[in-house]
Amino acid sequence: MNHMAGSLEQYNTVVWHWPIAVYLFLAGLSAGAIISAIIIKWMKGNDVSPWDGIIKAGAILAPITIGAGLFLLIFDLTRPLHFWKLLIHYNFGSVMTLGVLALFAYFPVVILFFLGVFKKELIENGPFKFLAPFADMALTYAKAIESVTLILAVGVGAYTGFLLSAMNSYPLLNTPILPALFLASGVSAGISANLVVGLLFFKNSTGESNVSYMHGLDVKVIFAELFFLFILFVGMMYQGGSSAHVASAALSSGGLSTLLWVGVIGLGLMLPIGLNFALPHGVKHSHGFVIFNALIVLIGVLALRYYILYAGQTFVG
Amino acid sequence: MQKQYRLLYDENLCIGCQACSIACRVENSVPDEVYRVQVHMQTMGIFPNLGMHYERLSCVMCENPPCVSVCPTNASFQSKDGLVHIDEKSCISCKYCILACPYHARFINPLKNVVEKCTFCYETRVSKELSPACVSICPTDALTFGDMRQSNSLVYQKSHKEVLLFPKAHLGTKPKVAFIPNRKGAKS
Repeated sequence: MNHMAGSLEQYNTVVWHWPIAVYLFLAGLSAGAIISAIIIKWMKGNDVSPWDGIIKAGAILAPITIGAGLFLLIFDLTRPLHFWKLLIHYNFGSVMTLGVLALFAYFPVVILFFLGVFKKELIENGPFKFLAPFADMALTYAKAIESVTLILAVGVGAYTGFLLSAMNSYPLLNTPILPALFLASGVSAGISANLVVGLLFFKNSTGESNVSYMHGLDVKVIFAELFFLFILFVGMMYQGGSSAHVASAALSSGGLSTLLWVGVIGLGLMLPIGLNFALPHGVKHSHGFVIFNALIVLIGVLALRYYILYAGQTFVG
Repeated sequence: MQKQYRLLYDENLCIGCQACSIACRVENSVPDEVYRVQVHMQTMGIFPNLGMHYERLSCVMCENPPCVSVCPTNASFQSKDGLVHIDEKSCISCKYCILACPYHARFINPLKNVVEKCTFCYETRVSKELSPACVSICPTDALTFGDMRQSNSLVYQKSHKEVLLFPKAHLGTKPKVAFIPNRKGAKS
């Protein structure tokens, strides 16, 4: 290629960088954390105070992670101070607008959930007495609010997938399975984060049966994730043409494919499954192992988001 | 009055002189390190049977623009003449459009920190019945611009005489820029 035309850089670069990958991870984690907290809360015996440690963990993690993610997203803009325009201009055909609207509703309901769960610490024995009406509302209409929260959380977990799959010139991103893959890995990350926070900070209130239920659910979700990844690449191979080329390049070339095989599949998916089958019952249910397992799952999910974002923009056929 | 603009790029007439790129830079004050239009050249074949292949890279003014459908604030919009423009005031520079554009036509202007691309010189030239800067400067008339609704226009006549190639037509974007593909020279 003759470079008399000038720089080719503009035509070959990754446009969305690592902060977006971290946001995709945090949004999925937040949705997964609140989904798994609500699942535990709806189980027999967990629907009254004192709350289980996993419910507390979810109540804290969901608003903090989504808040941190949005903060990151705003500062990744070229003109961060213009972000408010996103709140007054809407394009209902844009996944980004739909995501903004979902987050608009999602953020308040996860904060309500947080206030309900921590009513005693924050309001009865704490300085936030003026928030009492909100906490009471969260507790009085718990089932209704939590149902809405669950639906919104699925929306937040899946929209990040649609955000990328909406672009039809990137074969690795433009696949129907991506939102399902992101939702599943987000739920897995949320469960893992809840287990880590629950076991480290709310050890006394975290019920043993809930820990093993969550841990067991995580392993099942990991199987679903593996299957979705399999569907993604096999589906692209069967499409032929540039999709097949992109799939084989994404599976076999450069540091990104190493990240996929070692980070996403090896560390994040196969190692947890392998350890769960290989280790004796006693070790498997020790808190140390559950926390270790949760941490490698979290690293795997972050690696998946990073891989999909970068490989999607790099391998374009 | 509604228009149906089309820009033809004849690969057979292009000599790769880059005058279009310079004219564009001057007309639109495009900063040094970014480009609204580039013409890429490639030498093909095996010596002594060599040939040059030229390719124009710029916004192709899609009829179904992916950049407009992904834009969360409607800053990327389509005018009633079907041209795609950017409203700098409502752009939050999230770069979703840069990513969604299959033609890599968009970039961040490093001086103004807003998304920019080829506008067919609408403000300064086309709205005044002039042709875009790149078209008017082209020394070999490789570029032809006009309204397809006027059957006496050169662009209409050339479009009906030549074989046209619409870039990445399989994506369904319906570009308003069409290529007249290379008929001679070395094949890849």
